[in-house]
Amino acid sequence: MGHLADGKAQVLSIGGGCYPLPTMRTASLRLTVGRPKRGPIGTIIETLHSVYQRRRLLLYLTIARVRQDGSNSLIGNLWLIIDPAVQLAIYYFLVGVVLNRPQANFPLFLFAAILPWRWFSMALSSATDSVRVQDKVMRQISFPQIVLPLASVAATTTSFCFGLIPLFSLYLVYPDRLTLWVCALPLIIGIQVMWTIPFAILLSAVNVFFRDTGNFVRHGLRLAFYLSPALFSFERIQELLAPYPPANLLLELNPMAWIISGYRDILYEGRAPDWIALAVVGLASFPFMLLSIYVFRRLAPSFVKVL
Amino acid sequence: MKHPPPIHLQGVGVSYDMRLKRKRSIRRSVTHRSRIDGKGHFWALRGIDLTVTDGETVAVVGGNGAGKSTLLLTLAGIITPDEGSIQVYGNISTLLHVGAGFDDELNAEENILLVGAFLGVPGSIMRKKIPEILEFADIGEFARSEVRTYSSGMRARLGFAVATSVNPDVLLLDEVLSTGDASFRDKARNRILQLMKSARAVVYVTHDLASAKEICSRAIELEGGKIIADGPARTVINAYEKKMRTRGGAPRAAVTPTRAATTPLRRRTRKG
Repeated sequence: MGHLADGKAQVLSIGGGCYPLPTMRTASLRLTVGRPKRGPIGTIIETLHSVYQRRRLLLYLTIARVRQDGSNSLIGNLWLIIDPAVQLAIYYFLVGVVLNRPQANFPLFLFAAILPWRWFSMALSSATDSVRVQDKVMRQISFPQIVLPLASVAATTTSFCFGLIPLFSLYLVYPDRLTLWVCALPLIIGIQVMWTIPFAILLSAVNVFFRDTGNFVRHGLRLAFYLSPALFSFERIQELLAPYPPANLLLELNPMAWIISGYRDILYEGRAPDWIALAVVGLASFPFMLLSIYVFRRLAPSFVKVL
Repeated sequence: MKHPPPIHLQGVGVSYDMRLKRKRSIRRSVTHRSRIDGKGHFWALRGIDLTVTDGETVAVVGGNGAGKSTLLLTLAGIITPDEGSIQVYGNISTLLHVGAGFDDELNAEENILLVGAFLGVPGSIMRKKIPEILEFADIGEFARSEVRTYSSGMRARLGFAVATSVNPDVLLLDEVLSTGDASFRDKARNRILQLMKSARAVVYVTHDLASAKEICSRAIELEGGKIIADGPARTVINAYEKKMRTRGGAPRAAVTPTRAATTPLRRRTRKG
């Protein structure tokens, strides 16, 4: 990275990062050091454009990732549904029975929060490695590498959607918990995607340079899990953390904490989520997203050299 | 209409930041001290001026670590130069690592589409090419099963067939004529020669000097990241062969025994 800070390395962009091959319009590669800088906004627009051009690549990569989970197993992609259900059962036993702090309709209370958290953590851990493991193809073909973390996010989003099946089947047990607020689900999912993508992009880029990123991510996610209202309600967590102001601050700065309580509000409590908090969290994701795309694009030329 | 030359390089330099390559930094910093500048950058290529005109087939020869692979990666746009300018007109196709981009969990057809997507070839075109690719790769019944069940030869054949299914204007080759078994090798060789004929410019990195002399019209010799010879293939390669012989065989042999001991290792990592 020191290499990029070096003022001389101002090589920007490769005509959208892709060269359509034969039988298509003639594209050319033109790289000149010291040519006018494109600037952050230009870089971001160009990256978004290149991703749009390679949307099919994104699709195929996503299919391949989803299939990886189901292959080589007896019941294949049914695991997409069973995995979250088993996880729910374990947490139910641990928190509900052993720690004995059941809320009313505890399984639903738990699942409404654990399922989105599971999605978030799976997305980040698979995205972290996404660029590094594709070193071979990166040395063979020039393509916008940013599709790699995006495909990880897309694949885990797919498995999250399958996880909604056991979630909604819980409503068969607790029919009175189902309210019209469920319709707000896509909105909250959207906000979570907006937060997941920039984290995924940044982590995948950093992991190329520092292989230990994966370990940090694992521990960071675990910490964030307990600092989010996944196992307990938001109020209960705040109460527990009240004596420790730094931890409390972390909780309040954790966007996932707000997102998860949003899920719980609409899925479990059957009430309006905290709109203001969600709006703030949602809006805050935009600058973060743009920053992550810019950083990735600036780091991308070094990937092949380092790998 | 007059075309600009397909490949035009001016003062191109590519540096590796040794601080980022911790793995190899110590060995490199000993063996390549002269190529590392004050900031700890290793210059794999420096001051490369090269113009390839229409219809030229350029062989690139040189010892290990001379910068041959880096030159190809730079021409392909995979590595961006740190100084100078590079212009490549036309569609670029690279044959550097055969089979790159395959996903083990997909079958042959899906992998063809995946690699096509990596290359940026529209799906409709790639789909039309599937039968042709499968036939060339000659994997028979296995076309329907996942690539992870393939033998390494089948994988290589499929990879080769996909990578050569598009006709590029600018073709970049890195020792790919040795794919698969003997019968496939002939087929592959013919396919490559055919691609070379239709391409406007070919850059071919090789250690197979005899075939380079035969195929290529021009050759350049790299050493220490610089072009030290450039001219008709026969002349340059003959001179290179002579030089290698007087040095006592293997490229880079004119070094101390301790350095020579590291050479095979480096060869593997450079290619990998």
